[in-house]
Amino acid sequence: MSHQLSRRRLLQLATASVAGLGLAACGDNGSGSAGGDGDSGKITVWSWTTPAEGLRSVVPAFERDNPGIEVDVQDVGNPAIWDKITVGLASGGKGLADVLHIGVDYLPGYLDKFPDGIADLSRLGADKYKDAFAKGLWPTVIGENKAAHALPWEVNPLGLFYRHDHFEKAGVDPDGIGDWNDMIAAGSKILNATGVRLLGLDKTGATQDMDFFQNLMQLQDVFYFDQDGKITLASPAAIKALTIIKRLNDAGLIADTAGQGTEKRLLGQGKLATYAEAAWAVEYLASTFPEQKGKWRSMQPPAAVPGGKRNAIVNSTYLAVSGSSTRRKAAWRFIEYALTKPARINRMFASGGVFPALKAAYDDPKFSSPHPFYGGQKVLKPFVESLSADARATNFTGDYARALKFASDAQSQVLLKGADPADALKKAAEQLAQQTGRQQAV
Amino acid sequence: MSLAPSEHAPATTTPAGRGTTKQTRRTRPCRRRLLTRTSVPYLLIMPAVLGFAIFKAYPIVASLWISLTTGNGAGRHFTGLGNYQRLLSDPLFWTALKNTALILVVQVPLMLGLALLVALGLNSTKVWLRPLWRLGVFVPSLTGLVAAGVMFSVILNRDAGLLNWVLSLFGIDRVNWLGSPFWARVGVVLVITWHYTGYNAVIYLAGLQGIPQELYEAAKVDGAGPVRRFVSITLPQLRPILLLTVVLSTIGTLQLFDEPYVLTGGGPDNATLTVTMYLYNNGFKYFDFGYASALAYALALIVAVLGFLQVRLMGERK
Repeated sequence: MSHQLSRRRLLQLATASVAGLGLAACGDNGSGSAGGDGDSGKITVWSWTTPAEGLRSVVPAFERDNPGIEVDVQDVGNPAIWDKITVGLASGGKGLADVLHIGVDYLPGYLDKFPDGIADLSRLGADKYKDAFAKGLWPTVIGENKAAHALPWEVNPLGLFYRHDHFEKAGVDPDGIGDWNDMIAAGSKILNATGVRLLGLDKTGATQDMDFFQNLMQLQDVFYFDQDGKITLASPAAIKALTIIKRLNDAGLIADTAGQGTEKRLLGQGKLATYAEAAWAVEYLASTFPEQKGKWRSMQPPAAVPGGKRNAIVNSTYLAVSGSSTRRKAAWRFIEYALTKPARINRMFASGGVFPALKAAYDDPKFSSPHPFYGGQKVLKPFVESLSADARATNFTGDYARALKFASDAQSQVLLKGADPADALKKAAEQLAQQTGRQQAV
Repeated sequence: MSLAPSEHAPATTTPAGRGTTKQTRRTRPCRRRLLTRTSVPYLLIMPAVLGFAIFKAYPIVASLWISLTTGNGAGRHFTGLGNYQRLLSDPLFWTALKNTALILVVQVPLMLGLALLVALGLNSTKVWLRPLWRLGVFVPSLTGLVAAGVMFSVILNRDAGLLNWVLSLFGIDRVNWLGSPFWARVGVVLVITWHYTGYNAVIYLAGLQGIPQELYEAAKVDGAGPVRRFVSITLPQLRPILLLTVVLSTIGTLQLFDEPYVLTGGGPDNATLTVTMYLYNNGFKYFDFGYASALAYALALIVAVLGFLQVRLMGERK
């Protein structure tokens, strides 16, 4: 046999190589159908910083109880993880980890745009946990095929953290604050007495951090979309929310937190009197600013309207299995192991600050214990109680990212150009409808 | 086409005269060889051609196809020019295009003018420690784009930024660099200019050093002053280099992404949203790959038209 290739053969080989590569690329259609139900071997998990630490704390026990399965938890970083998952899903699941940690702001979009990209967990037995998690989370994990595609890990009921020392110096009684009208009045008192602004907000919208605006809407049981997916961005509740922000700004109570790390720096310097955040911040504040021990307290968030409700679930995160995983059963076993047993989920809470979605976890004494960072206040208890109250699920939909963009633009117009909230939101809702083809709710 | 010497050898035939061709092929003493004078150049360019086919041609064609479709995952369906029609009526696309054009019109002449001045300075024999100055001018272009964006987001911070601190030394009020639509654009222009001026200056410097000194000496003898020599000798001699930098800078600015993405996220109120950033948002945030691909083709068309016009207007006239 000759060791020299003929030109024809060379041409054939080259053509076959190119065609093969082309077909490999063309063949990936996002179905994730290349996956398999392997129940052993090494599985990879993608998460970020502190949650990744929490997951790692479960791995030794899992590997001991599940011989044959090895777990590699990778800290991909946030927000880098969203680009990595998106690119992986768009290329048919290539390169994705077996287990994916996904936020409520992305999960509906992934289920909507990549129907087979996330594995069906109902097939593996997820449905038996339907009632095990905090109210309002299960609808988010359901795809168009009515199957569950993830298990809830984290739920974030809203709270309002405040600097007890600043309130005291200004003579403000937190118990006397029922709604944001009261809080605006209190904020002016605090500003006058201490020179400290009430809260921080990214006025430029560079980070599109719209949590505060969303929280004010969620306190009124409204979001960008209603439960039918219709646009509610220009609803009276949304206008009320943006009007509160405008009033806070006009009163000089908002510190601009645009720029990386600005809010953290201002909190560290004691220049913000409150921090409107969800339950995960309980441990975040305590571990990030240990020198401020005893100065913080927590209260229920003021209502957006007088007499309105003072609780809301603002966001949540989930663990899912990629549709392209070849070890879907092993990946599911890890998720089930980590998220459905109170002791393990609470161990992760302790090491990663992720507030558990599993209802049985709240029986642990730590949820009703005094917290030294908060001056001995039983800081976790109100958060747990608010979950059992009427906290409704939020329909993020697959178009959340677009809605966020337009809402952020509207807020920037109001804060930087003095635009009227109703006009800005009307324009935003119209643009959202035009771009998504969704109808506006009447 | 030249054949290998062996191919001229006489063919053998079977007594029955059947299967001659097959027999001939099998028994031909020497077949066509891979390494001939004709095939070697093809072999040499094959890696590049394969690389182009796989990593350039295929994505280009695939992107064109995707731009004509809508949907998700496996469920893409053909919509013809629907995405392009949508693009024409999308106010955010026009905002992004306007922003990009504004940065192009302001920043490119500013940067290239500055780069030319720097290059003239670095080319002067009167400058002491010239290699050090050249290094200093070129160093910013070695900085990663994202790192540059992060660094300037700190420098331009309203409350704690270095620039506002320097301005305060002169009694000038703090500027809301990233919070005002006007100053945010200025901030983006600042970053790009800082990053690429040295790069262009080095190109100009190479061009300046290629101009024959005799031309300057002759002009001096004829009594031409420095300005006259610059206008009549330097600029015409630099014409191809100028064209190169103008075209490259135009393409680069039209594809501007990293710096405004890190610095302002396209804000405030879309004042620094660029076409590529909008493209990225549609693809990777909204998962609207069809529309993102249409944006990519629209941008490619704009780049091609502008490049063509620039070459026609500034190119060598015969």
